[in-house]
Amino acid sequence: MANRIRARASDRWMAYGFMLPAAVLVGCLMYWPMIDTFRESLYATSFISPAPTFVGLDTYGKVFGDETFWQVVRNSVVWTVGVVTLQNVGGLLIALLLNQRLPGQGLLRSLVLLPWVLPGVVAAILWRFMYDPQLGLINSVLMRAGFIERGIGWLADPSTAMAACIFAAFWKGFPFSTVVFLAALQNVDQEQVEAAKIDGAGAVRRLFDVVLPAILPVATTNVVLTSILTFNYFDMIYVLTRGGPLNATAIFPTRIYDVGFGEFRFGEAAAYGSLSVLVLVFFVGLLLLGQRGRAREA
Amino acid sequence: MARRSLLKETLPLTVLQFAVAILVLFPFFWMLSVSLKPATEPFAIPARLWPDHPTLENYILAFRPEFRRYFLNSIIVSGATVLITVPLALLAAYSLTRYQFRALSIFLAAVILAQFFPAGAMIIPIYKMVKAADLLDTYASLIIAYITVTLPVAIWMLRGFLARVPRTIEEAAAIDGARPLRAFFDIVVPLARPGIVATTVFVLIVTWQEFLFALSFTSTKEMRTLPVGMNDYIGQYGIRYGELMASSVMVSLPVIAIFFFLQRHFVDGLTAGAVKG
Repeated sequence: MANRIRARASDRWMAYGFMLPAAVLVGCLMYWPMIDTFRESLYATSFISPAPTFVGLDTYGKVFGDETFWQVVRNSVVWTVGVVTLQNVGGLLIALLLNQRLPGQGLLRSLVLLPWVLPGVVAAILWRFMYDPQLGLINSVLMRAGFIERGIGWLADPSTAMAACIFAAFWKGFPFSTVVFLAALQNVDQEQVEAAKIDGAGAVRRLFDVVLPAILPVATTNVVLTSILTFNYFDMIYVLTRGGPLNATAIFPTRIYDVGFGEFRFGEAAAYGSLSVLVLVFFVGLLLLGQRGRAREA
Repeated sequence: MARRSLLKETLPLTVLQFAVAILVLFPFFWMLSVSLKPATEPFAIPARLWPDHPTLENYILAFRPEFRRYFLNSIIVSGATVLITVPLALLAAYSLTRYQFRALSIFLAAVILAQFFPAGAMIIPIYKMVKAADLLDTYASLIIAYITVTLPVAIWMLRGFLARVPRTIEEAAAIDGARPLRAFFDIVVPLARPGIVATTVFVLIVTWQEFLFALSFTSTKEMRTLPVGMNDYIGQYGIRYGELMASSVMVSLPVIAIFFFLQRHFVDGLTAGAVKG
């Protein structure tokens, strides 16, 4: 850091000049809308009366009194916790497997990213097809194996729809966790692993005592990052179920879209938007607190 | 003897490798298989793994004029987003790695935070802005939205790469009398090429599949992008899955091809920030 280019006036102009276009865009198109969402939520509009009228916090009162809102909160938590857990536990296990010295690993390591590269809407259509009650492959296999007699409408039944969405999102998202975990595993100090081996620690002991503590920071980043991405993930659920049946899979992004662009109640959609930020901040805060507690115990 | 114990050790792992490969690849295989199935082969349960007489007829049917239009729209919007986002991100990332002014660290924190803003929470104000500017149902509206979505991540990725470009080369150029701007274009940009490639691939993958903004900002068939067009097909086609799968293959092929050609750079870029940070 000592030989950092010394600040001259021309440097200052260059530094600010290079930053300016990006700063203006991020400011106008991200920070301003985030603030404006809250202002927007204080006004009411509808399809019948599109002119906004100031209603203060009334919309929030209405939203809190609506059972759908609480269902959206519950669904968002179930969806996020479900996908993030599957994605990171599965992603870590697969990364541990891919980190072994085995033939064919190079190929598998590049193939494993494919679901993540597949466009979200295409992945959702593909899974919609696999879940199809009449033509879907999953029912076909289950029927042939004799587990079921008639096709199950996985996405049409409120009791299975969320689980089906979670599994599809896991398939689409786990490669990201795997790749990040794999990079972290390759950075683990091999001398420590060898030392533990000499001390007589078995593979499982070595995993829990040496490897997992070493990748804990990456794991935390991964969990926080995937939580935020999953909480905001619109494509999968919208294409699979549109939030149905009977709102069984409605989460914040799909609800915001439905209220805003389906029913043209922009004020209420903006209220849902503001509340989604609060719920997300609360959720991530809990995660980070839990992580700090665990780090202190260790 | 030694060979046998080695086999005994690796066999379960090889079985697991196969299980992972099937989990990852089977849905792709199924997409391809159904896309090649002629309409005359029954779709009955139990399903056939591979059609008896594979055909491209689904592809020919699916490649209709409206699909070609969606394709063109997606190429225009993704291409324009890359052309604007990557240079702007490169400038900003350069500024962030080479200089230390307070305004820059505030900006960096703002960029990191912005990556996590929910699109759902911003979409109503952005929609109103776009509407007020009379840009609804235009390429411009989508390009603006996609720059918004991709710029912070692009800055973040490029910053990781630029931090690895040794500063001594630039300093040598400065001593030789090169202006900072010259040094940037002649030295930094070529050295940062792997990072630029990785960021470009990332921005392309993100914009090629973006759905929420495209769904909300476009209303006519002429302006739909591929993801929205595909979503429209679900209702229209009913259960004509052969055509739907053929379109899916055509939509996915470009990104999968780009990804395979450039994947080494890309995986570097994806993991650099997360592992180091």
